[in-house]
Amino acid sequence: MHIHEINPWRTLIAVAIFVVILLIGFLTMPKPLLNYEKSMNESVDALLMSEDYVYPWELEEIIADKPDSIVIFDIRDNFVFGQGHIPGAENLSANTLTFPENIERLKALKEMGTTIILYGEDELQANGPWLFFHQVGFDNMKLLLGGYKYYNEHKDDLYSTMDDDAYYSGFPKFDYADMAAPKEGSELFSDSENKPVEVRRRKKSNIAAGGC
Amino acid sequence: MRIDNLNDMNRNYIFLTIVMLVLAAGTLFLTTSDEPKQIAPEELLQEIIQPSRYVTTDQVAKMIIQGDPSLLMVDVRPEGEFEEYALPGSVNVPLENLLDEENLSYFGVPGVKVVFVSNDDIRADQTWVLTKRLGYKGTYVLKGGINCWMQTIIDPLPPNEDAPKSEFEAYAFRRGAQIYFTGAATLAPDGENVQVQVRRREKTNVAAGGC
Amino acid sequence: MGPLIPNGIIGEGWDFVIAILLGIAFGFILEASGFSSSRNLAGVFYGYNFVVLRVFFTALIVAMVGLMYFDYVGWLDLSQIFILPTYLTPMIVGGVIMGFGFVIGGYCPGTSFTGIAIGKLDAIFFTVGLFVGIFLFSLTYPLFEGFFDSGYLGNVTLTELTGIPAPWFAFAFTFVALAAFWGTMLIEKRVRKNMKQYKF
Repeated sequence: MHIHEINPWRTLIAVAIFVVILLIGFLTMPKPLLNYEKSMNESVDALLMSEDYVYPWELEEIIADKPDSIVIFDIRDNFVFGQGHIPGAENLSANTLTFPENIERLKALKEMGTTIILYGEDELQANGPWLFFHQVGFDNMKLLLGGYKYYNEHKDDLYSTMDDDAYYSGFPKFDYADMAAPKEGSELFSDSENKPVEVRRRKKSNIAAGGC
Repeated sequence: MRIDNLNDMNRNYIFLTIVMLVLAAGTLFLTTSDEPKQIAPEELLQEIIQPSRYVTTDQVAKMIIQGDPSLLMVDVRPEGEFEEYALPGSVNVPLENLLDEENLSYFGVPGVKVVFVSNDDIRADQTWVLTKRLGYKGTYVLKGGINCWMQTIIDPLPPNEDAPKSEFEAYAFRRGAQIYFTGAATLAPDGENVQVQVRRREKTNVAAGGC
Repeated sequence: MGPLIPNGIIGEGWDFVIAILLGIAFGFILEASGFSSSRNLAGVFYGYNFVVLRVFFTALIVAMVGLMYFDYVGWLDLSQIFILPTYLTPMIVGGVIMGFGFVIGGYCPGTSFTGIAIGKLDAIFFTVGLFVGIFLFSLTYPLFEGFFDSGYLGNVTLTELTGIPAPWFAFAFTFVALAAFWGTMLIEKRVRKNMKQYKF
């Protein structure tokens, strides 16, 4: 019989090295600071039913009472923050959001159950981070409608904004079809929208092609 | 064959067999999720805080007028609103159908610039974040949305008398775009020149203004 | 980290260097396992030497289990691995033809080269026959081109075809392989009792 068949100690050594390599792999696995808590489908559903907004007139109470269970974060840049911010707000500038100490602080706040209100220059600036935080599991984030701009204009009389609609977004402000219809005497054919749009779709195969 | 080696042999073989069986059984417990491939959260956050994803209505209008084939506008409003009015050349992907297989194949095509459009830019921005989480490149957001489109292209506001020259150039471009999209009669009071800037090598960018 | 070259970790030119190094290692292992002897190779079919089955099955289960672990630990991205396109019937026919050649000649293509490396004359004849066969294939290709391209299933894996998750296949194959190892040891003991060249 072959020498290896009689006493496979060489095979034993090879297998031992194999197991050691696998163990090293497990031990060096990176432990990420953040994990997605919501799956893609859950995120879409949550977005469609979302109600985590703060209206400007609610700020009046919050600024006056300064309750412990609510923290306001301003995600704008430090310099702009210094020029003017909502009283009681802390600066958590967008490019420092990825620092571990800030993430730890947000996690601690979540443990305590405080509600966090995010605002930026306008609603758009805080929108991205707000959605992001919801996806990694910080469900206690709320978005200030209208942003700092709207607050600044109306800060003397926030309760009057209850009837104002200017800070609402996501609704058509004009009658689109009417405004954009081809005017009289134009040479545009009115069924130009029925032209099929040529789209290129991504091809399905993602496996490396090639080889023999 | 010597008999005393037989015991060694059997014992080693048994040991090897057990090790391999344990390793193979271990693979059964490795969790794999059914989730599609996503980028790491820290990376997503980095992408979110860059403002490079916004395109202005002027830039998009220019691309449509020039017939740029790399542009694909994706309207994320509900179907009803899309039927009422939609930008020329846009396709409708309502948010609730975003994750359908055939809708996802719009994204990630090399060379195609996908611009998300909604009434304002909030919904479009949120859709952008979701598709970015899945790792697709080449996606942008129309700043201001269709509200801004109405205010700048369909019905542009003439600049003040003391506005800088670039604003007047922008206004001229927008008047031209207005004619292209709606066929409005050329109101040219007092000899104002209205032209569509097509394929001119320009040194200044058409103004990055908007709403 | 994934596959090194598609992810840009090392340059494209390292393709050939890695190929040569792997080829040298493969040849070494083949020769060290005793595959340059046509008696060992043909022994699988006559039942007195199952070393071919053991070596290849061992490589298969170690690689399979190792790949699954590497994917989990993040060292490899399994979705970027090249998967051979499957042409069902031509591949089955090709396998049968190669099996015949294996038994009749006592070598397979790779081991014929290790046989030449140690100077065996039958390996030289086998390799000459190999090239003659390739030449005849290329001459007669137009005759069976249609059959050659038939049965295309795409770059599928068993997981995609049957929907059974991959670790189950890994475990099943490992179990079958280990059972085969013990089984073949028993068969060898039985068959070798009657062969005089194995009496020491």
